[in-house]
Amino acid sequence: MNCEVCQLKELEVEHFEIREVLRCILHTIVFHRALGLVRPKDVDLELFEITYVQCGDVELEKKIDEKIDHFISWVEKHPNKKSQICLSFYEVKSKQPSWFTNKTERLYWEQWYINLNVTQHPKHHSSKSHHTKLVVDPGESATEERSSRRAMVEASLREVLFQIIKFVNEKKDHVPPISEGVIYFPYEITIPSSSDSAFGMDMIKRMLHSGHPTMLS
Amino acid sequence: MTSTHTNSHTEAAKMEQVITEFFYKSLLIILESRSSYVSSRNYSGEQTVSSPSSSSSSSSSVRPRDKWFNLALRECPSALENLDLCRRSNFEPVVVDVILEQKPLDWGPASFSPTSDLVRNLSSKNKNSYFWNSDQQDESGSEMKCEKIIERWFVQHESRKGRDCNSGNRRSSCNNLSALYKKLILMLRSLYVTVRLLPAYNIFRDLNSSGLICSFKLVPRVSSFVEPLTRKEEVDMQRFWFTPVDTSCGRLCLSVLYHSSISDMSSESSTPMSPQFIPDYVGSPLADPLRRFPSLPVSHGSPSSLPFSRRHSWSYDHYKASPPLVSFSPSPTHSESNALVSNPSSLGLPPMSLPPHPPETSLAHKRNTNFDEYCPSPNFSASPSPSPSPSLPIYIPRTHLSKALLRSESAPVNIAAPKLANTPALSGKQNLPPCPPLKITRAGTSRTDNIRVPAETDATIEKIFSFGKEDCWKYSGVKAFSNSSPRISCSRSSSRSLQDDFDYSEFPCPFDVEDGEMMDPGSRKSQDAAVGALVRLLKKAPPLRQNVSLNFSEASRPEILSNSIPKQSQILEAVTVEYAAAPNIASFRLVASKTTTDALEELRGYKVMKNLLLSEGGKAYTSNVASAAEHSSTSKGT
Repeated sequence: MNCEVCQLKELEVEHFEIREVLRCILHTIVFHRALGLVRPKDVDLELFEITYVQCGDVELEKKIDEKIDHFISWVEKHPNKKSQICLSFYEVKSKQPSWFTNKTERLYWEQWYINLNVTQHPKHHSSKSHHTKLVVDPGESATEERSSRRAMVEASLREVLFQIIKFVNEKKDHVPPISEGVIYFPYEITIPSSSDSAFGMDMIKRMLHSGHPTMLS
Repeated sequence: MTSTHTNSHTEAAKMEQVITEFFYKSLLIILESRSSYVSSRNYSGEQTVSSPSSSSSSSSSVRPRDKWFNLALRECPSALENLDLCRRSNFEPVVVDVILEQKPLDWGPASFSPTSDLVRNLSSKNKNSYFWNSDQQDESGSEMKCEKIIERWFVQHESRKGRDCNSGNRRSSCNNLSALYKKLILMLRSLYVTVRLLPAYNIFRDLNSSGLICSFKLVPRVSSFVEPLTRKEEVDMQRFWFTPVDTSCGRLCLSVLYHSSISDMSSESSTPMSPQFIPDYVGSPLADPLRRFPSLPVSHGSPSSLPFSRRHSWSYDHYKASPPLVSFSPSPTHSESNALVSNPSSLGLPPMSLPPHPPETSLAHKRNTNFDEYCPSPNFSASPSPSPSPSLPIYIPRTHLSKALLRSESAPVNIAAPKLANTPALSGKQNLPPCPPLKITRAGTSRTDNIRVPAETDATIEKIFSFGKEDCWKYSGVKAFSNSSPRISCSRSSSRSLQDDFDYSEFPCPFDVEDGEMMDPGSRKSQDAAVGALVRLLKKAPPLRQNVSLNFSEASRPEILSNSIPKQSQILEAVTVEYAAAPNIASFRLVASKTTTDALEELRGYKVMKNLLLSEGGKAYTSNVASAAEHSSTSKGT
C-alpha cells in the first residue's frame, strides 16, 4: 500500500492565528478520515468567516489541542521560522519481534504536511515612533492593512481546505477498510521538536516503522 | 444457480438501496445547510460525547436513517418531502437550486416560512437581468420580488450502458459494495465540508442565527428537471466537481455551480439595519423651508444656554449645525453584516422611517388630525418622565413613541385661549397656559388636565386676550412652545372642550399645519423664553385683586364685619383669602377660575342670601329674646 502524501499550501500566519488555523486544518483532515459513525459538529472560526467540521469526539479534540499547544511553544522559542506539522494516518500491523523493532509496526498510508510561516508583523512600530510627528493617520492605514491581511489569510485558508477536499476526493483507494466500532483511523501528529537533530530522529523512526523511505515531495 | 441468482439479486437490491440512500443523504446535507430550520448545525451542538466505545451504544439515539454513511444528521423536512424523488428506480438526476430571495415590501410571515417550497420558475424574459431578477413581478404586479439562483447542485447517477450491472460473482460484488460504501462515505464527508465553505453558507448561518427580520431568505428548490442557466448567469458562477464514484452499473456524480461573489453582493447591501442619518427627510430645513412666525422675545441670549432646548429638526437653522436626528428604523442587534441590508431603499423598508423629530412631533407629523386633542406643554420636554436629555439624537423605538404619545395625551395644556374671557358658559374648568416656574405635575393633580390659575390673573388674561390678534399670539407664548402641536389644545377632562368654543378661523394659529406643512423652525422659541415672556406679561398686568377685592369690599366687608352667621362669613372669608392669597406667582394655587362677571354675580347672590339670613336670624333672635324674657318673667312670677 502506498503512502499518499499531501503537501498543503504554505500559510503565512501570525502568532495569534496559529491555534485557529491549525484547529481548522487538522479537524478537517481528521473528519475526512473519521469513517465511523459521527455526529458532525460545526465550529465557526472567530478570526475568519469560515466554518469547519469536527467529528465531535472530545478525546480527539483534546489531543489536537495539546499538539497545537506544543507547537505554539515551539514557535515562541523559534520565532519567524517556517515550520511544518505532519498529520499521519497509519495502520497497526503485528510483526515478528526482533532486536530493533517492536511487535507492532505502523504502516503509514497517508501523510499530510501543514506548512506554516509564522510571522510577527511590526505592528507596534508606529506606536514606538513617538518622536515622529509626521505620522499621517497611522490608525486607518494600520486597520486597512490588518483587514486586507486578514482577508488574504482567510482566502489562503479556504484554498487549503479545498485542497484537502480535492485530495480526499481524488484519492480514495488507499484508504483502508473501515473497522467495526472504530470512528477514526489511528493518527499521529508530528511537530518540529526543539532541535533539528531530534526532528531528524523522528523521521528515521518513521522510516523504520513504515519500512520504506518517507516520500517528501 | 438459484442461490447465485438470489445473491446477485440481493446484491443488486443492496446496491440500489445504497444509491438511493446516497441520493437522499446528499440532498439532506445540502438542504439542511440551506433551509432555515433547525439543522444539524444546531443538532450537533447538543450531541453527547461520542467515543469509540460508545459508538455501538449510541445507535439507540440515532435514527435508522441517520446511520447511513456513518453520518448522523437530523431529519430535514424539505429533504423528506423529496424522498420520493430519490427513490426512483431509474435514478433520475436531482437538481437543487438555492435561491436567494429578496422581498423589499412583503414583510408578512409568509415571507419567512422555512420551507423548501417555493419559488415559481423564473420566466424566461427575466433571465437576462443582471444578478437580481428585479424586473420580475407578480402576475398581479403587486410586489417586486428579486431572486437569484446562487447555487445549483447536481446529484445524478450516470448509468453505464451496454453492460450488465448484475454480473459478477458474489465475492466481487460484496467487495464492490463495501468499497462503494466507503467511497460514498468519503464523498459525503467532503460534501458536508464543502457546503459549509461555499459563500451561501454564510448567508444561511447569518439568517439562521440572527433571527432578525431580513428581506433576504434562502429558498432551496428541488426538482428533476430545470431550465439551464443562461450564459450570463453561468459566467459569474464557478463549478466544483466531486470525483465520481463508480458503481456496478454506472457512476454517481456530484457537482455544484455556485456564485463566488455572493458574499460580495450580500456584503454590499448587508450592513446592519442600524440607525441611519437621513439628511433630506420630509420637513427638514434643508428639504422644506418652513414658515417663520413672528418670533417671541427671547429672554435668553444664546440658544445653547437654554436648558430645555431640544435639537429639533426645525431648529437647526437657528442653532448651531448639528447632525439630523437618526431615523426611526429597526435596528438589529446582530453584528454580522453579511445577511443584512444597509440601504433602506434596496431593503424596501416599510414606511417606518419617520422624520427624526422628537416623539410627539414625529407623531404630530403623521397624525395631524388628532392633534386637536394633544397639547404638549412647555414642560413637556422637561416632563416628569425619566426621559433622556432631549438634546441627544434620538433613536426612538416604537414603545417609547407610544409612551410619549400617552404622555402627551394625558396632559394637554391649553396654551392660549383667545375667546376664553368671552365665553360665558365657561363656568367650569378652564385651561390656561402654565407659567414656567410652576411645577405642574400632571400626576400630582387629581385632575391632570386642568391647569388652574388664581383668579387675579383673570383680568390679566382678559387683557391678554383683549389684545389684537397678533399681539395675542405674540404674548401668549404659543410660539414659544416649540412643540409640534398644530392646534391649541384643550383639557380633555373639561366638560366643555374649549376647542368647541374657539373659532379657529378668527385666529390664525401658528401651529395650524396644512397637509405636509411643518412649522417654520425660526418661529419656535425656547420654552423658557416664551414662558419668561408670559411671566413678564402677567407681572405687568393689573392684578385681579383690585377689581375683585373692591367688589368684595363693596359687597362683603360690611357683611364680614357684621356677619353673625359663621357659615356665611366663613364662605366669604374663604373666598377673600383665596383671592388674596396669590399675588406671588410662584405660589399660585390652582383653583377653578371664573370670569369676573360671574364672580360678581355670585357675590351679589351671596349678599342677597346673607341679608335674607340675617333678617331671618334677626327675627328669630328677637323672637327668642322675647320668649326668653317672657319665660324668665313667667318663672319669676311663679
